[in-house]
Amino acid sequence: MPEIKEKITSEIKRLLDEGLVDVVIGFKKEESPLRPQPAFFRKVEDLAELEYNGLCQNNLANYLTRYPQDTRIGIVVRGCENRSVNALVVEHQHARENLFLIGVPCQGIIDIKKIIAEVGEEVSEFSETGDEVTLVARGKTHTFKRQDLLHDSCLRCAHPNPVSADVVIGEPLPEGDPEMIRKAVEEFEGLSKEERYAWFKEESERCIRCYACREACPMCYCTECFVDHATPRWTESDISPAGTQAWHLIRAFHQTGRCTSCGACERACPMDIKMTYLTDKLNKDMYDNYEFIPGMEAETQPPFASFNLDDKKRFVV
Amino acid sequence: MEAKPKIVLFQCQWCLYSEPDQQWVENDLPSSMHLVKVPCTGRINTLHVLNAIQGGADGVMISGCLPEKCHFKEGNLSAMRQQDEFANLLDYVGYEKERIRFVWLDLQDLGRIQKELAAFEADIVELGPTQNLATRTPQTIRGEHA
Amino acid sequence: MTYILDKKQLEKVLKKWSADYEVYAPQKAKQFSAFLPLGSSDLALDEPHNTRYPPKSLFLPQTEVMLRYNGRLNRLEDVKLEIKPRILFGIHPCDAQAAALLDTVFATEENSDPYWSNRRKETLLIGLGCDEPPQTCFCTTVGGGPFNTKGLDALLTEMEDAYFVEVLSDEAEKLFADLPKASKEQQKQIKEVQDSAAAKMAPAFETEGLKEKLDANFDSEFWAEISESCLGCGVCTFLCPTCFCFDIVDEVQRSERVRNWDTCMFRIYSLEASGHNPRPSRKERTRQRLSHKYSYWLDHAGEIGCTGCGRCVRYCPVGLDIRAMLRAANALEMEPANA
Repeated sequence: MPEIKEKITSEIKRLLDEGLVDVVIGFKKEESPLRPQPAFFRKVEDLAELEYNGLCQNNLANYLTRYPQDTRIGIVVRGCENRSVNALVVEHQHARENLFLIGVPCQGIIDIKKIIAEVGEEVSEFSETGDEVTLVARGKTHTFKRQDLLHDSCLRCAHPNPVSADVVIGEPLPEGDPEMIRKAVEEFEGLSKEERYAWFKEESERCIRCYACREACPMCYCTECFVDHATPRWTESDISPAGTQAWHLIRAFHQTGRCTSCGACERACPMDIKMTYLTDKLNKDMYDNYEFIPGMEAETQPPFASFNLDDKKRFVV
Repeated sequence: MEAKPKIVLFQCQWCLYSEPDQQWVENDLPSSMHLVKVPCTGRINTLHVLNAIQGGADGVMISGCLPEKCHFKEGNLSAMRQQDEFANLLDYVGYEKERIRFVWLDLQDLGRIQKELAAFEADIVELGPTQNLATRTPQTIRGEHA
Repeated sequence: MTYILDKKQLEKVLKKWSADYEVYAPQKAKQFSAFLPLGSSDLALDEPHNTRYPPKSLFLPQTEVMLRYNGRLNRLEDVKLEIKPRILFGIHPCDAQAAALLDTVFATEENSDPYWSNRRKETLLIGLGCDEPPQTCFCTTVGGGPFNTKGLDALLTEMEDAYFVEVLSDEAEKLFADLPKASKEQQKQIKEVQDSAAAKMAPAFETEGLKEKLDANFDSEFWAEISESCLGCGVCTFLCPTCFCFDIVDEVQRSERVRNWDTCMFRIYSLEASGHNPRPSRKERTRQRLSHKYSYWLDHAGEIGCTGCGRCVRYCPVGLDIRAMLRAANALEMEPANA
C-alpha cells in the first residue's frame, strides 16, 4: 500500500507541475488513522498529507458535480468510483476531456463500523496488507483478516479495477464474481413477503432523514430533491413511517441504472441502516432485463433514459 | 358487508374513445374507486403511484392507450419501464406487484374499462388487505427514537 | 448527600422508579445505544461514549405534531401534550449541559415554548459521569467536564461494584433516600476518580479569542477551504445535543402541522421564497455552523453553544473534525488573508 500511495503522489505531482489540472481530488491523512478525509490538492506542498489505504471510505466521484464543466479535475478512482465517473459523464455532469482519472485497482474498503465493533473507536495505529489488517487500540495490537473487515458492498464487488482510467497505479486485481450481488438479491427474494417487509420496515424505521446517504452518493446531485418538493407534496418530510419508507424506496429507485454498488450510502449512514439490498435488486433487474451495467463505459444511456417499441412486449395485458 | 378495496385509477384522457365509457368513468365510478385523469400515462411518475398507495389505495390501475396508438406517439412507453420496475421493487419489499395493474385500451374496446376494473377489484379482494407498506396516518407525538 | 447504589441493585431500583415515572436509559438498539423506555432492550451503561441519538429528542422530538385540522368539519384539533413524570437515567454531563443551554432558547421568561418546557419540567436528569472519556470528546475544552453537574438532578460516579450518587436536587433526593450513604473517605475517592478523568482530557483548541477570530474572518477564503469535503448532510446537526433549529410544515395530506428538526447544512434551509439564498454554498453554511456555536451563542447566551460531546466528530461521513477546524480558525490572522 505505501508504494501505491507514493506512486499516486508522484502522479498527482506531475499533473500539478505540468498544469494539466486545476484540482486533484484524493484523500488526506487526519489525526485519527481511522478517518482519512477527501482532499482537494491544488499545490504540490499539500501532497505531504496525501493518504491512500483501505480506510478511504468515500466515493470521490461525488465531488465532481460541484465544479463547473470546464474545471479540469484530476481524481483518484478505484473500481466503483471510475464507474460512477462514467455514469456522471453519460448524464453530462462533467466533460470527460476535462477529467484525468488516476485509477487504482481496489482491494476493498474497510468498514470502520466493523473495526469499532471489534476494538472500539480509540485506534491509534493502522496498517494493512492485501490480506491482513493490523490495529493498535488502547495499547493492544489486533490483527484481522482483511476479508473480515471489508464493507459488505466490497465483498460483493465484481469490478475492482478501474475501467477507463487515464493511468493505472498498481497491478490489476482479479475481477470479482458478478454473481455475488445476484446471489444476495435472490436470497432476499427467497424470503416470504412478510419477512421481506419486516426487514424493510425495521431498517427504514431508524432513519432520521439526515440525507447522509443522498449527499454521499455521486449520483444524487439534483439541486432540488423530491423530498424537498412542496407542490406536489410527494411524501412527508418528517420521520413518519410512510415518509421514511418513501424516502428509502424512491431514493433507491432513482438510482436504477445509475448505481455502481459502491456502498458509500451505507457507510455514511449514522444509524447503521442497510440499504444496498434495494439498489442491488434494481441493478440485477437492469442487467436481466436490459443487459445493462452502470458505468462500464461513458456512452450508453441507462435503460430508464430511453425506451423502444419492443418494450410493449413486456407490458401487454 | 366488507368494505370494498380502495382503487386508484390513473386514466389517460385519450384512451376511452366511446362517450358512454367516458361518462361512466367520470360520473359513475364506484365510490371505492378514485379517478386521476392524466393527459398521457407517460405523465405518471412512480411517485404518484406511491403516493396513492400510501394514501390507502389497495390497488392502483394505470389505463392508457395501446403502444403505437398513443396520442403523443410514444408517451405511453416513456414511463413504462419505470412503472414496471417500480412494481418489482415494491414486490421485493413485500408489497405484491399484482396490486399495480396496467391496462392498454384500444378504440374497439367499448365497455372494457368497466370489466377491467371489476376484474381488478375481484383480484384485490382475493389478495386481501395488506399492511406491507406504511400509509399516511395521523402521527402521535413521538420523541423517543431508536 | 452522596449515596451508594450497588450495581446488583440497579435493575431493581430502576424498576421501583418505574411505578411513578417513565424511566429512560441508554439501551442497545442494533449496534448502538439510544435513550429508550426501560425494558426495550439491554442496558448499555458501560459504553465509554454517549448514546448515538441525542437525548434532546426527549424534550424536542424530531417530529412533533402541533395541531391537526379536520378539513371536512373545518375545525382545528388541539394536540394534547400529556407528559408523565420521567427519569432520564444515565445521561452524560455533556448532554445535560446541552439541555440547560437549550433552556436559554426555549424556556426564557419572554419566550417559553410549552412543548419544550412541559417536558423539561416533568423530567429528572440522573447523570452518569465518564471515567474514561473517549478521545473524540472535548467537554473540558468548552467549559464542561466528564463529571460536571450542570443541568443534572444527580450525578453517578461508577466505581468497582457500585455507583456513587451525588444528589443535587430535592426531587432526586426522594429517589435515593433509602440507599446507604457514602463515607467521607469514599467521597474523597470519588473526587479523585472525577478529577483524574478530567485531567486525562487535553484541551482540543483554544477558546480564548476564538470568537474574535471567527468574527474577523467572516470573508476569508478559509471557509471555502475548510468546507470543501463537507457533504452538506444533517448528521452533525441532528446528532448534536445543542442544535435546535426546526422547520414547521403543514403535512397537508395528513392534515397535520408538524415541527421537525431542521439543519443549517441543507441548501434549502435558508432558501427564500423569492429564490434568493443568503447562504448559497457550503462555505457560507459551514461558516454559519461554526460561528453559531462558537460566536453567536456567546452573543445570545454568554456561553459557547457546544458541549464537546463528540458526536459530530465520530459520525461525520467524511471524517471532518470540528476541533481541527477550530484550531485552523485560531491560526488565522485577525484580518482575513485576502482582505
